[in-house]
Amino acid sequence: MSETTVSTPTPTEQPPAPRQPRNGFGRTLLAQEYLGVLIATLALVLLIGAFHPRFLQFDQLMAILNQATYIGILACGMAFLLAMRELDLSVGSVYALTALACAMLTTAGMNPWLAAVLAIVAGGLLGLFNALLIQYFGLPSIVATLATLAMFRGLTLALSDGTQVLGPPVDDPFSQVISGDVLGVPVTGIVLVVVVIVLTVVLRATPFGYRVRSIGSNPDAALFSGIPVNRVRMQAFVLSGALGGLAGVLTIGYLGAADPNTGSGYELLAIAAAVIGGTSLAGGKATIVGAALGAVLLGVVASGLAYFSVPINWNQFATGAVILGAVSLDSAVRRRRRARAGSGTHL
Amino acid sequence: MLEAQGIRKAYGGVVALAGVDLTVRAGSVHALLGENGAGKSTLVKVLVGAVTPDAGVLRLGGKDLTVANTADAVDKGIAVVSQELSLFPDLDVLSNLFPMREYKRGPLVDRRGMAAKARPVLDELGLDLALDAPVEHLPLDQRQLLEIARALVTDPAVLILDEPTSALHSRESERLHDVLRRLRTRDVAVVYVSHHLEDVLAVCDEVTIMRDGRVAVPSVPASTLTVDRIVQHMLGDKVAAVVEERAHSGALAVEPGQPALRLENVTVPGQLQDVDLVVPCGRVVGLAGIAGAGHRAVLDVASGVARPSRGRVVLPDGSPLKAGLRGAISQGVAIVSGDRKRFGVMLDKPIWDNIGQVSSVALRRDGMVIRAGKVRERAAEHVRRLGIKTPSVDLEVGMLSGGNQQKVVFAKWLEARPTVLLLDDPTRGIDVGAKAEIYGLFREQADNGAVQLVASSDPRELASVCDEVIVFYDGKVCARLSGRHLDAHTLLEVMNTGIAPADAA
Repeated sequence: MSETTVSTPTPTEQPPAPRQPRNGFGRTLLAQEYLGVLIATLALVLLIGAFHPRFLQFDQLMAILNQATYIGILACGMAFLLAMRELDLSVGSVYALTALACAMLTTAGMNPWLAAVLAIVAGGLLGLFNALLIQYFGLPSIVATLATLAMFRGLTLALSDGTQVLGPPVDDPFSQVISGDVLGVPVTGIVLVVVVIVLTVVLRATPFGYRVRSIGSNPDAALFSGIPVNRVRMQAFVLSGALGGLAGVLTIGYLGAADPNTGSGYELLAIAAAVIGGTSLAGGKATIVGAALGAVLLGVVASGLAYFSVPINWNQFATGAVILGAVSLDSAVRRRRRARAGSGTHL
Repeated sequence: MLEAQGIRKAYGGVVALAGVDLTVRAGSVHALLGENGAGKSTLVKVLVGAVTPDAGVLRLGGKDLTVANTADAVDKGIAVVSQELSLFPDLDVLSNLFPMREYKRGPLVDRRGMAAKARPVLDELGLDLALDAPVEHLPLDQRQLLEIARALVTDPAVLILDEPTSALHSRESERLHDVLRRLRTRDVAVVYVSHHLEDVLAVCDEVTIMRDGRVAVPSVPASTLTVDRIVQHMLGDKVAAVVEERAHSGALAVEPGQPALRLENVTVPGQLQDVDLVVPCGRVVGLAGIAGAGHRAVLDVASGVARPSRGRVVLPDGSPLKAGLRGAISQGVAIVSGDRKRFGVMLDKPIWDNIGQVSSVALRRDGMVIRAGKVRERAAEHVRRLGIKTPSVDLEVGMLSGGNQQKVVFAKWLEARPTVLLLDDPTRGIDVGAKAEIYGLFREQADNGAVQLVASSDPRELASVCDEVIVFYDGKVCARLSGRHLDAHTLLEVMNTGIAPADAA
């Protein structure tokens, strides 16, 4: 247990570098977490485009972005939860229930914008319900949200009588705006980008974001540093629920109707997108950009298969393969990094 | 008769046992004594097969003995009661008494047979329990007795008790001692590890004292020893080294108006009994006691972790302590634990992130936007001032040595500018050089006017670092040692007997 294990020029003598150049070196360091998924997505797009040039057309790519929006938004919330070693399996059901709520409120004559806001608030409340179950019954989040996954879905089916509920008509300004585009970029995609930017700032630069990552890195140390762990967990679940509500509202604006079975299985895709993006299941680290890119990659795979005329029923299989590839690549990188750290200096 | 000869065991470069001999006669109770780290626990682990020695032989009843693991040890007649409780909380009393060795009748568990075996043992220990009661709701002392019962139902030839009385009240310890005396007539060899030296002298026939991985005193009759002599042997010649000149020689007084951390009439059931305590700012105050004496409970109360059932805690500024950890921390309390990997650091995060954890993140002193650059600048300042050896504040804390990790923990608390520092064995597992630097930090903080409370399991450390040491015994303050009364020898003696030296305050 000597202070300096033998290593080349002992850095112990140098004064600590007062300030690192942050702009070149630091930026790339930050980017590293989602660099993998970014490269993989671009490579896959180019690969598909090499065989089917039509795939590279702008409207095609924007269609993929639109499709990726819903999972992408859910994945951003999931990234926060994974970063603090929690999990929300109910997001797919929250998505469906809030979409239904938005549709039913507008059908009942409410202004669609107001209905949308209420649906997002309702999503937040569903998240709060999850957090309260976890806190007061001492349940692991995977168990509590497994229960609410079924409960919220069941509520959706019961309220809708199992049938599609129509939302605002397509010529309503609400639907016009959400299904519209700006210079060819779909509004839904713009919403995803805004969400990603805002949440990246929240995760990287606010006390809440630091708290989330602190808790995921070492829950006991977080508690013994005075971080209000229960309150932070509650906030993260409310965030996840509200994002489910946002995704639900967008689908009503885009499709004009809510199917009670919509979004089933989205919880797993959202987790997959976050993990593909570079968020660690072990907690402590997350990347919002990566989570959204993970959703885009899943979308690229799905439409790529269509271009190669692979039957749609192979879609899930391919999704699984992508997840497997991303996760094993991630763990291989981590192993190498650890091996390097192990042989490095131990000051 | 149990014999161990030439037992050696090293962990990496650290020698835990350097050739230890031990002979325990059948029909005798043999005390195994020594300070923490003297090698008692390792020796016990060797005897029960939990640790394989590098060299040495064991013999039981004259025959060579090899024990592969603890289950094997039980099969060969060696039973152990360890200081950590190892009961299965969900299982009932009877199942806990026969773990992995249920009586069988055909393929079925023979509960009646087990009950017939268990009853007399439980009666002997004075345990009046329903055999089908789950153990998780039993009080701590009863669980401890149950552990002893579990060892006794195996009819051992050798019974090893590793600090069995730490959770027991005096009446139960008395009961245990009766049982030990009876085992003597049944020719059982008993090895008794304890810090209660008075207990040891009351019940043991022979005493072996260990120091630094060696036997300092081999198998002498207990009747030839006193508590004072035992303490001398436990410390060895290091006693001389710690007797040093102190700036002040008399007892330390507390001025009436002096700002201080005050415990007023604090009771925590089973841990503290009506404790009144004044810890003035500006000195380094130690908390000492044997396990369960209450000195650690003071830290739990002052950090808001434990809520007293009666009484209150008042901070130096006169405000009462808020409930809960977060409340205490927001009022300026800092908690530095020796278990830094669990409670102190985020190993996978850079140094600056760790240093900002309390002030910027938990207490939001930087407002709603944390500028990493600002935190890093302040972290670099701490790194420089505390002499944390690192090329950059961006290095992950997991890459640092233990001593430097602990300095990062100090830095994160100093960054929050605490007025009360609670230090729980803060130098555990840290090498000597870093220890000295960390002691320097205590002094500096005390000079800055903070309350410094240090709990440690090492009396030498407390005697050399503190201005004053408060000794606890059985949930109460039994002495405040300072000046010429504050040396490792007196401290260890008072910790173990609960009796203050005649002329100390």
